[in-house]
Amino acid sequence: MRDTVITTETIADPKSHYGDAKASTRHFITQRLTGAINIAFLLLLLFVVVRLAGQDRADVVGLLGNWFIGIPFAALIAIAAIHMRNGMRDTLEDYLAGSMYRLAMLLNTLFCLAIALLGAGAVLKIVFWG
Amino acid sequence: MSVRARPTSPHLQIYRWTVTMAMSIIHRATGIANYGGMALLAIWLVAAAIGQDALTQVNYIYGSWFGQLVLFGFTWSLVHHMCGGLRHFVWDFAVMMEPGQREKMAWATLGASVVITLLIWTVFVWMA
Repeated sequence: MRDTVITTETIADPKSHYGDAKASTRHFITQRLTGAINIAFLLLLLFVVVRLAGQDRADVVGLLGNWFIGIPFAALIAIAAIHMRNGMRDTLEDYLAGSMYRLAMLLNTLFCLAIALLGAGAVLKIVFWG
Repeated sequence: MSVRARPTSPHLQIYRWTVTMAMSIIHRATGIANYGGMALLAIWLVAAAIGQDALTQVNYIYGSWFGQLVLFGFTWSLVHHMCGGLRHFVWDFAVMMEPGQREKMAWATLGASVVITLLIWTVFVWMA
């Protein structure tokens, strides 16, 4: 199944159920939803970076330490990571297949997980422990 | 999570460049750039969480001319990808797809991203 060669007949035939209908629809909706939320992320990111770029740790804790800034910021970083993983999936699907795709997708998941855990984790650390 | 082998794209060289094609490619390219760029944000936040010494080092690197150049590019990349995403939201309503309209919207995406990026850096960095 996984490494089946796709011919033009397979693609042209609707009965072949080429691709994963459920997962693809889910990926589409996830990407639109997280993309829309990312507009809010960029606005908050702009606010945070403008206030804190080049500033000392005390200033960072002073701003991000507010739970009403830190908690949404951490959540939005995690949502951005979902958008990153989903978007990179689109790219990987276009150029890779089979075991190479699965390997690349594993690395993709690990990278996005690292961004979410480190980025959001660092913010939450500042919120709860200063 | 597995996908079956997909048909691969034909060579890019045989096509005449169009603005919609360029914006499609740039949307993907900026998406990949943002993917990597998010590591810069994570590094900065982790350094701030660790301590003043780590943050001072990151601030020194990000504040250097090369760091600022990368951050300027990252700003444009983020803004352009957002504008491209907004264009996709418009298309989701099955409008602005006709010849002329889509090219206009593609140029608008590029124009808006450049103007917004320059505005952000002018107001918050160069004039601040």
